[in-house]
Order: sequence, then structure tokens, then C-alpha cells
Amino acid sequence: MENIVEITSSTKYFASSDVLANNQVDFAVRKGEVHALVGENGAGKTTLMNILYGLIKPDSGTIRFEGREVEVNHPDDALRLGIGMVHQHFKLVPSFSIAENIMLGMEPNRFGMLRKRDEIEAVRELADRFGLPVDPRTRIRDLPVGMQQRVEILKVLARDVKVLILDEPTAVLTPLEVTELMTVVRELARRGRTIIFITHKLVEVKEVADRVSVMRGGKMVGTAEVAETSIPDMARMMVGRQVILQIKKGTANPGEKVFEARNITVADSSGLPVVKNLSLHVRAGEILGVAGVSGNGQTELVEAVTGMRPVEGGAFFVNNHEITGTTVGERRRAGMAHIPEDRIRIGLNLETNLDENLVVSRYKLPTFNRFGFLLRGAMSRFAGEVVERFQIAAARPGDSIATLSGGNMQKVVLGRELSGDPKFIVANQPTRGLDVGSIEFVHQTLIEARDNGAAVLLVSVELEEIMSLSDRIAVIFRGQIAGEVDPDTVTVEEIGLLMGGSTLDGHAAGEAEEMQTEGAP
Amino acid sequence: MDELFTIALLGSGLRLATPIVLAALGGAICQRAGVLNLALEGKMLLGAFIGIVMAYTLGNTYLGVMVAMIAGGLLGLLFAFLYLRYKVNLIILAIAINMLILELTVYFMRILFGNVGSWSDPSIQRLPDIRIPFLHDSGALGDLLSGYNWIVYFSWFTAIVVYIVMFHTKFGRHVRAVGENKEAAETLGINVPRVQITALVIAGMLCALGGAFLSVGHLTLFTRNMSNGRGWVAVTAAIFGFQHPIGVLFAGWFFGLAEAFAVRIQSVSDLPPNLIQLIPPFATLSALVLVALREKAVRRLNRRRFISRLEEEQRSAAASAAD
Amino acid sequence: MISYRRRKLTNAILVPVLAVISGLVVAGFLILFTDVSPFQAIWEMFRAGFGCRSLDRCALFTTLERSTPLLLTGLSAVIAFRTGMFSIGQEGQLMIGAIMAAWLGFAVDLPPIIHPLFVMLTAMTAAGLYGWVPGFLKVKLGVNEIISTIVLNDIAILFATYLVNFPLRADRGTTAYSPVIDETAKLLVFMPGSKWGIGFVIALAAAAAVYLYLWRSTPGYEQRMAGESSGFALFGGIRNDRAAIRGMVLSGAVAGLAGAIEVLGVHYRINQDFSLGLGFDGLAVAILGQVHPVGVVLVAILFAGVRLGAQLGLQFSFGIPRELGGSIIALVILFVAASRLYENNLERIQVWIDRLRGRKTAVEAAVEESG
Repeated sequence: MENIVEITSSTKYFASSDVLANNQVDFAVRKGEVHALVGENGAGKTTLMNILYGLIKPDSGTIRFEGREVEVNHPDDALRLGIGMVHQHFKLVPSFSIAENIMLGMEPNRFGMLRKRDEIEAVRELADRFGLPVDPRTRIRDLPVGMQQRVEILKVLARDVKVLILDEPTAVLTPLEVTELMTVVRELARRGRTIIFITHKLVEVKEVADRVSVMRGGKMVGTAEVAETSIPDMARMMVGRQVILQIKKGTANPGEKVFEARNITVADSSGLPVVKNLSLHVRAGEILGVAGVSGNGQTELVEAVTGMRPVEGGAFFVNNHEITGTTVGERRRAGMAHIPEDRIRIGLNLETNLDENLVVSRYKLPTFNRFGFLLRGAMSRFAGEVVERFQIAAARPGDSIATLSGGNMQKVVLGRELSGDPKFIVANQPTRGLDVGSIEFVHQTLIEARDNGAAVLLVSVELEEIMSLSDRIAVIFRGQIAGEVDPDTVTVEEIGLLMGGSTLDGHAAGEAEEMQTEGAP
Repeated sequence: MDELFTIALLGSGLRLATPIVLAALGGAICQRAGVLNLALEGKMLLGAFIGIVMAYTLGNTYLGVMVAMIAGGLLGLLFAFLYLRYKVNLIILAIAINMLILELTVYFMRILFGNVGSWSDPSIQRLPDIRIPFLHDSGALGDLLSGYNWIVYFSWFTAIVVYIVMFHTKFGRHVRAVGENKEAAETLGINVPRVQITALVIAGMLCALGGAFLSVGHLTLFTRNMSNGRGWVAVTAAIFGFQHPIGVLFAGWFFGLAEAFAVRIQSVSDLPPNLIQLIPPFATLSALVLVALREKAVRRLNRRRFISRLEEEQRSAAASAAD
Repeated sequence: MISYRRRKLTNAILVPVLAVISGLVVAGFLILFTDVSPFQAIWEMFRAGFGCRSLDRCALFTTLERSTPLLLTGLSAVIAFRTGMFSIGQEGQLMIGAIMAAWLGFAVDLPPIIHPLFVMLTAMTAAGLYGWVPGFLKVKLGVNEIISTIVLNDIAILFATYLVNFPLRADRGTTAYSPVIDETAKLLVFMPGSKWGIGFVIALAAAAAVYLYLWRSTPGYEQRMAGESSGFALFGGIRNDRAAIRGMVLSGAVAGLAGAIEVLGVHYRINQDFSLGLGFDGLAVAILGQVHPVGVVLVAILFAGVRLGAQLGLQFSFGIPRELGGSIIALVILFVAASRLYENNLERIQVWIDRLRGRKTAVEAAVEESG
């Protein structure tokens, strides 16, 4: 079958964050198919689609649409060609009705005056035509998320598109809404629309797509027929098969239970529960790795554990003391350290210098403050010690940290968090975006902390990292622990299955809610 | 006390409200288009100055008012240019423009007319009051509705026009979409900068008209800082009117009436007049708090509703799986 | 990333300097409406604003006197901005401070030194409470602090108008004034001929205190971290909400001190046009002074000097309206705010230099690095 969209050698570099989001990516979609585009967060899928939709201008690369080379500089151009996109974060006007949102920019009017009756009629007709019933007069702000997404899809269909891009459409939906969406997608394909379905959930790929393309680290790994590909195959393509990093690691000597989460439920910023009734525990002197495809509630889980986000239900315990309602400061004083996934905005304050960055969790200690005043000398000495101990190159006390490399920035975070021998360390994606040398350093440091008796909760989407560091592995899927495995005996394929929402015997567990694999052996 | 609420009092309230209503409508349009416009004061003052100077130079007050509106529109354009092209912080931009106009109007007044603190010329004609036929001599209603200059009527008319444009035309819908969700508008091919520029230019013209009302409609005089905080009152009035044209019209009247009442009460009683003027801003503050409280409650309710819905779905999914 | 340090330097020094030059150039064009040479006029303006003929005829002293309220409102804005609160409530808070000072200046009988101290502390407390309101509304209800401070400014100014017309009115004259404060409450003046006195010293001390507080104390540290990166502050265990409220209270107190010193040291009473935009001037001072106490001191003196120079040098010597001074200030603010005008061009020049030197652009380097 002919290709309707062909992207050749698309390259995009974001200078502000120093990320090469697309590195000479080739991508082709056939007419009338459902084409899944999968990859980790940050693999470059959304960037690629934003380029196709004219939201981002690539540094190089060409786009062919229906065989002709085209310039897409603005969503206008894309819509005119017949390419529409439903974004992960809906672009709807909350106070407008469904009809007003769908017809925005193409309102029926006479001399500029709106013809609201025609508008509602047009929307009703459109909804009937595609079998997606809506009440055109309801305001968006009164709609559940699934309906809002339906409005987004109708909005794009109203513009008569041939290619429909769905950017992680299931991320915000409830299980029932997901099932509905899948039916809609298949139905649209049957009616001759081409659909590009961006996701990182492999079960969904199996369920809905004809072909799948996998991206990793800004590059296109490959394209395959879904029918001929298994979930583990896709998982392997997605996660990559780098050489397993050699880590010198002695056997663990787990001690007392240091941290425990019991039946935790956490909501994301829009109020959706993204961690559901989750339980886990970490003992002294061991590393519990939480594996999973990103976007399955890891961020919210870590924020809740560290006190940055309230929980909707459940309780946390440190050394059998309940800490559920305590503040970040109280948890830190109780011996918790936190290595966050976003070191630029959360882990560090780039506006200020090294010394001030290093004391944010301990400026109230008598070492650094007397009568409410900071002891600059002590701060500077501490910075000197950290720089030396953690080998932070090119940094001296008092220096700005905004100019440091990513690896050195992470060393600053590690230096702050691991000085003072914390009892409980929460590390979320501690090696994200680092070079090999820095990764090794981070890994060694975490293992040292473990050997010194700290309990480490390691959350990562890098399977290799989880496998080589963890003493136990828990796999998270849709906000729940899908299973717990032993890193010494488990295979990458087995973990891949759990990460993709299947059970270990290979069946898709799309509605995995009922399989409650709580606790562990 | 019964002589307090006279038709004359209401009338003077409507007059005093006119510049506030016009500027507040301008501010509301900008707010609807997603631009915080705190330069109403400066734009008003510019209108007052240009209005009277051009009325004098051209020998025609109507023309003077027209030129003032053009000048206000141009100032709006400059504001838009600096905001959209150079991403100047809106607050700093407004403060600088207010200050610049305050100083420049006096600078040019003194350059042009000598070293004076205020300026007037007998040749300048005040805008005439319009006597509406039949209505004018028809008693109380006539006294209330007739006998203002055209800017007063225009301010009422503008409120209605802005209402129609905002809620019943394609352009108005685009303005509201831009203000509420810029990305939504952008992705559907609406030219966001053009909408915002238009809003700022219209706001500039309305503010300038309000200013011209002060210098050639109400009096025929220009003094240093003639707008005297009315632009800021207009910002408050726009907030109180919830950025809705009709709400803004009533809010403006409320503020104008409080001012008229304060003036009036001075001559008939010993009650402190300025306390009356405090009522509108206090009402605005209360409105801000009440709206915030309501939003908070709605958010909490929506969230609770959503979670219970989800739990229900999960239950039913589990039940069907068990079958 | 490499250009970060350079850009920071550009922001701190080059932009204000370029902005002042740009402002003066535009002012030069404005002077062309008169028949005075722009160069001569501007030179005269600076001479008259900062010069000193003799101890009793010293323009610099008057400049320092007039810089005092600007300095304090500027500091007030620094505290709020550094805490991440875009408060424009200095105008109203200053009025509250002035009201307290004008009232307590005559209403209580206290011995000399004690009297002004007591008045200033009460004024700061009252204005601090007035600053607490928008802080509380923001933290608890999410009411935008810009909007609430605008409304609170209105309220404070109208309240002051009421007071000077009624309870505090001195006599039934044409303009309403409050009574003159007691001699015991007045602040010491250093030199006859101007009101330059202890108030200026207090303002300088306040600048030092604000610096010490924000950059050397733990609560100040919390405020800056909350303002610079609320995510980082939350992560580190800092209570963002408390920092915001504290910032607003302190910001209000310093603005209130400005009002008190204007009453106790300069006017000795208030009328209804008392403030005349001193609060907004303070915002401008803070922005131009890079939101730092040292910058604020320098810019406040510059502003006061330019205004005075325009009055004494331009108006008295050449007959050029003194409003040119204020216009220059407004233009400079505008040019600073539009600093992208310079930054964009500086960046463009940088790319150009890189090319000339045969260096790769960032995109090329990144593609190559990834292999």
C-alpha cells in the first residue's frame, strides 16, 4: 500500500535543554492503517509528531505527504493538507460549549455574526456521521476527560483530515474510556482515516495497531507488523540492548524494614488517581528497584513518598513510625534523602550558587546557622568537602552551578543528598541524561550507600539500571505493582511483559486492576 | 436626607462614570484577549491631552476627540509591539508607559503653552449636551436620560456593542478563545498576535476617548495628571464587572455614582463623603475573595465527583471480570 | 549553556547602561523642541542634580533627601519580587505608613528620640499588616497578588483622603491637610537648605538590613529559594506559602517606613495627594536596580538626581520643563524592560563570531556528539 506520510532524516536539537530530540529520523505511514509510534518519554515521538504537525520547525529533514514534498510551518499548513493532531494535553477552551470548541476558527457566520443554530446542527451532523454522540451545548469544563478527548477528535475530524495523530491518548483515561477509544480508533480506520497512535503502552499497540515504529533516544529503531511482533520484542526495542554495565556489587545484607508504603493512592495535578492502592517496603541495606514504563505513576509515587504531594489514601511508615502527614522538612530531618528525576527545576536552583544549593535540606542545622544567620564560612567549607568527595570537576565553593555539565550537576545533587548518611534514599531516574562515566559514578555511590546500611528506593525506566543495581525488583503498571521479581533469576523479557501490562504467562492484562499482586514473596 | 437621591445626583454619577466605563471596557477587552492592561491610566491621560490640544489647534472639538482616539490607538499599538515583539513584562510596561505619558503631557503642555500648571483657552468649545427630542422635557426620565454629551451616550452604546461583538460575532469568540486558551486558538489557525493587537488598539482608543471626555467633554481644561487615578479605578471596575461588558458598565456606574454621591453629600450633611467612595473598592475586594472561595469549592467538588466515578467504574470492571 | 555567564553579566551591567544611553538619546530629541543644545542641556541636568556649590546650597543633599522614599519603596519591591510575589502594593502600603505617622506624630506625647522611633515602628507594623492581606489571599485562595494589591492601593488612597478631610483635618482651609506633627516626632535634618537628614541614613541602613536579611539570614534564604524556584524550595523542605506571606509582610513594612519617613522627615503632615506615584517609582527603581539593594540605592539616587536636575538645571536655567527628567526615567525603564532588544542582538553577534572562528553551531555539535 502507498505511503501517505513520509518523513526523511528529521533532526531537531533543543538548545535550551541541550537535548537532541530527533536524530535523523525516518518515518513512513501507509494510507488507512493504524500506526503505533512507541518509545520512552523523551524518545522523541512527540517531537517528531510536532514537526509533522507544524508546531516545531526541524533543523533538517523533509516531509512528503501523498507523494509530494510539503512545507509544514504552522498547524494551519498541516490542517490544510489534512493532518490533524489530538494532543495529550487537550487544547480546549473550558468555558466554551462542545460546539463552540469544535467549530472554533471555522464558525458559520453571516457578515461576522455567528449563526449558532447552524453551528449546533453542523456538530450534531458530524457526531452522527462518525458515530461519536455528544451534546453540542455542554460546556467543556463540565465534561469528564474521556468526553473531552472525544471533542478533540471531533474537532480534528470536522476539519476533514486524512491523517489523525493521537498523542498518548490513553494516558488520561479510565479503563472503560480506554476501551471506548480503541473502538473509535478502529472504526475511524475502517472509514478510511489514517491514524498515528503515540503511546508507550505495548498492550495498546497489540490491541489497536497494524504496524508499529519504535523510537529510542531520539532515533528510529525500526518498524514492524504488529501481528508478527510480540510484546517482549517491542519492549526490547524500546528499552534497548546496551551492554549491561559492569557493577561491582557484593551481596546485600538486608536488615530491618526502614520504609513502608501501605495502600497508597495518589492523584496527579488534574485530580486523577495515578497511583492506586499501592504497597511496598524497603529494608536497611537493600535496593528496591521500581521498574516500569514512564508515565505509570512513578513521578507521583516518588513525590508522595518524599512529602511533596499529598496522598488521597493509605499511609507511609519510617522505622514503624507513621509519617503520612508530615512535611518535606520533617521527613528530611528524619533521615530521608531524595534524588529527583528533574535536577534542573527540582533538584537544583540554577539561579544561585553551589553553596546555597548544597544546604537547602540542612540550612537549619546549627552547623550552618547561628541566631538565624547563615554561616557562610561553614557553607563554603561544606561545599569544598562535597566537591572533593564527589569529584565535581570545574566547581569551587561560591561558583554558579548553571554552567556545570549534567553529570556534575547530578554530582551536586548526590553530594547534598548523600552527605550526612541518610537512612532512606529515594532516587528517581538518577542517571537520566548522563554520560557513561557519570552513570557509573552514580551507581557506585548508590551501592556504597546501600552497603553502609541505607535503604534505597530506586525508580527508573532504564531496565538495565534496575537489573544491575536492585536487590529486589517491583514492576509498576498503571499505578499498581504488577509483580515483584528477583533480579538474579528474571529475564529482560519477563520484566518487559510485566511493564507492558501482561502477566508472566503472556496474556495481556489490560484491565490489570483485578490482579492485585500485592506485597511479594 | 430625602433630597440626597435626586435625579441630578444620578445624572452627575453617570457623567463621572463615563471615563471609567470607557477605560474599563478597554481593560476588559484586553483581559478577555489574555493581556493584562494596566496602562489604562496613561492612555486616558494621553487622550485628555491630545483631545484638548487638537481641539484647539484644529478649531473643532469633534476632530480633536477623533485625533485623541487615534493617538490612543497608536499608544495601544506601541504597547502591543513592545509586549509581543520584545516580550516586555506587562506590569513594567504599564508602569513605564503611565509614567512616560504623565511626564510627557506636562512637558509638551509647557513647551507649547508656556510654564503653566494647567491650561485652557476660551476658543475651545466644550462638547455640546444633546437634548433628546420629546424625552428631554418629559419629566424625571427625561432629566435622567437626556442632556449629556455624545461621549456619555457612546459609552453606553459601546458597552452593548462590545457585548454583541464578544458573544455573538466570530471575532469576539476568537478573542475569548485566545484569552482563555491561547494554544487552542493557535492550533486552529487563529492569529493570536493579531487578536491581541486589535484588543490593545481598541482599548487604547476607548481609554483616550474617556480621557478626552475629561478635558473637552466635562470641562475645557487640561491639568497635570488630569486622569488622577481614574485609569486604576477602571482596572478595579473591570474586575468588579467580571470583565463582562454589561457587568463593567454597571460597575463603572457604581464607581461613578459613589463619587457623585460623595460630592453631593458634602453639601447637604456632615457625613464623611469619602467613606462612600470606599464602598466600591471594598465591594471589589469582597467579590475577588468570594469568587476565589467558590472556585476552590467547585474544584474540590469536581475532584470528589471524578474519583467516585472512577471507583465505580473499577468496581463494575472487576465485577464483569469475575463473571 | 556556555553563554549563561556572559548573558548574566549582560543583564546586570550592560543592559542598564545601554538603557540609560538610549533614554538620554530619546530625551535629546525631546529637547530639540526647545532651542537649547541637547548636549548642553543634559550636561546641565546632571550638574544641577548632583553638584554641590557650597554646604548650604548643595543640590546633592536635596537629591539624597528625595531619593529616600524611592530607596525604601524600591527595597520593598525587592523583598516582594525576590520572594516571587509580583506585588505592586507599595503605593497603598506607603499611604498606610504615612497615615499612621501623621496621626501618631501629633496624637501621642513622647520624648524626642522615642517619639519618631515609636511612630516608625507602628507605621511599619500597620503597613506590614496591610501587606499581609494580599499575601494571605494569594496563598490561601489563589487570588492574584497583582489584582489584589491594585484594589488595596485604591482603598488605602481613598481612606487617606477621607482621613485628611475629616478626622485628621487641620482646619477648614481650601485644601485638606492633617495637622503638623509635634516637634518631638520630627527627624533630624543635617543641613539647613534641604531636608536631607536622618531619614536617609535610616533608608541606607534599611538597604543594608534587606541585604543581610535576604542574602545572609535563614528566613531570607528561604524566601529567595521560594522566589527563584518554588519546585526546588518545596523539594528542599522550605514552606513556600509561609515564605510568600512573610515576604509580603516585610515588603509592606518597608513601604510603610517610606511613608513614615516622608511624614516625619519632610512634609510633617499629609494631604490627599501625598504619595503621587512614589510606590510605582519604587517598582521602577527595583527593576532598574536589578532587584538588589545595592542597585536600588544607586538607582534611587540617580532617579532623584535626574528629577532634581531637570527642575533646577533645565527648568530654572533654560526654561525646559522639568518633566523631561521624569520622561527620561520612564524611557530608561522601558528600555531596560525591553532588554531583549539588546540581548537578541548580542546573541546574534555571538553566533556570527562563532562562525567566523570556524566553530560549529550548537545543533551541529550536538548531532556530531551523539554519533
